[in-house]
Amino acid sequence: MRQALISDDKVIEELKKAAAETLAIDVASIKADSSLVKDLGAESLDFLDINYRVEQTFAIKMARHFIIEHIEEMFGEGTALDSDGRLTEKAVKLMKIRLDAAAEGAALDTLKPGMDMDALPVMITIRSMAGSIMDILDTLPENCTECGKSAWKTENGTRIVCGACGADAVYKNGDDLIKEWLQKTQDEQKIV
Amino acid sequence: MDMQDIEKGTDSPPRKVLVTGSSRGIGAAIASAFAGSGSDVAINFSKQGGRSEEQAKRLAAEIEAMGRKAVLVAGDISQKDAVKKLFSEASENLGGLDVVVLNAARAPFKPIERLLERELRALVETNYIGNIFCVQEALPYMERSKGHDKHIIFISSLGSRFYNPAYPLGSMKAAMESVVRDLSETLFKRGVAVNAVSGGLVKTDSFKVLRQFIDGIERIPEGLFVMPEEIADVVLFLCSPSSRGIRGQTIVVDRGLSNSLHRNA
Repeated sequence: MRQALISDDKVIEELKKAAAETLAIDVASIKADSSLVKDLGAESLDFLDINYRVEQTFAIKMARHFIIEHIEEMFGEGTALDSDGRLTEKAVKLMKIRLDAAAEGAALDTLKPGMDMDALPVMITIRSMAGSIMDILDTLPENCTECGKSAWKTENGTRIVCGACGADAVYKNGDDLIKEWLQKTQDEQKIV
Repeated sequence: MDMQDIEKGTDSPPRKVLVTGSSRGIGAAIASAFAGSGSDVAINFSKQGGRSEEQAKRLAAEIEAMGRKAVLVAGDISQKDAVKKLFSEASENLGGLDVVVLNAARAPFKPIERLLERELRALVETNYIGNIFCVQEALPYMERSKGHDKHIIFISSLGSRFYNPAYPLGSMKAAMESVVRDLSETLFKRGVAVNAVSGGLVKTDSFKVLRQFIDGIERIPEGLFVMPEEIADVVLFLCSPSSRGIRGQTIVVDRGLSNSLHRNA
C-alpha cells in the first residue's frame, strides 16, 4: 500500500544525511538532484555504506544488485550487456521504461545502447535513490504481520512500527521489488 | 638448499617487498608494517585514476616519511601483461625483490549458483590465475635478488573453511591454501618459503559489503574483530627467521572467532 507516514522529503533529508556521513561532506552541499558519483565523489563501496545507513534508519533492505545484474540473471547472460560490458538495446528499453515511470527525464536522454555499464552509477541521484527507498516503504502491508492489527505509526519519523504490539513493519526487499517489476514488464511488453 | 640458506643475510640492505592490492585495508597495513621494519615497498593498486591510486599515493608518502622507499605500481593481476609490467617496474625501482605478499582480491557478493559465466571467469581469473601469474613473474626477480631470505605470503580468509552467505571468494581462498602447500614444496628447493595468513573478521572497506549480506554480523562482539595490523604482524613473523620451521601453512588470525560453534548472544 502507498504509505503516508513517511514523506518523500523526509526520505531525501535522511538520505542526504547518510551520504554526508559516508562521504564526509557538508550536508548543505548536497542537492536532491546531486549525482552521487559525479557531484559528490561516491565510489562503489560508498553506495554500500550509504545503503547500510539508510537501512538502519528506515529498517528496510535495499537492493544488493543493480537492475542490469537482475536482467542478466532472470533473462540470460548477454541480454543486458554485450561481451564488452556495454548496454544492449533491450537493457536500454527496460531501463527507459523504469526511469520514465520514475520521471527521471535527464537520465532518460543519457541512456543509449552501447553505453559502458560503468557509466550507469553516474546517473544515480539522491532523488532517484530516494525513489527506490519510497518504493520499499510503499510495500508496507495493510496489517501488522505479528498481531494482525492496522495501527501503524512512526518512531522518530523514520521507522514504522505497529501501534498495537510494537512490532517493526516488514517490507519487501529492494532486490525482490526489482525482480517483480522486471517480470511484470516482460510479461506485458515482451522486451527480452 | 635447506632452510639455513633461505635465512641467510638478514643484515644486508633494505629488504624489497611487493604487496598486491595494497592501497588500503589489510594490504596497506602490511606495506606499512614492512616499511616500519626497515623494508622498501612497492604498493600495487589495480586502476589508475581512481580513489585507490589516491590512497596508494598517500600511503607512499607515509612510507617515505618513515625514511623508506615506496614505489607505486598499477596493474590488475588478472591480466598477464599487467602482471609482467608491475613486477618488472617494482623490481627495477626497488633494486630487486625479496618478499611478495599476494593480497589483491576481487569478487562479486552473491551465492555461487547465481554467478553468471562472466562473474565466474572473473572470480577465477583474479583470485586464482592472477595470483599464479604473480608467482610466475616474481620468481626470476626473487632468485636474482641477493642478500635476503625470500618469502611469498598469500592472504587468505576464513571463507576458505566456513560458509559465508554470498561469498564465492571463499572457494578461491580454499584453492589458494592448496596452492600454498603445493608451492611451498616446489619453491623451497629454489630458496623461497611460501605460507599464508588467514584473517577473521576485519573492519576494512570490504566489511561494508559483508555486513550487507551477513545478518547479525553487527552483534558479533567487538573483541572478535581483527585489526589489519594484527594480520600484518603475522605476515612479518612469517618473513622472519623465527618462522623457519613453518612451511606451506595457513596461519589463522581471528582472535579465536573460529574456535567455537556456539557463542552466547
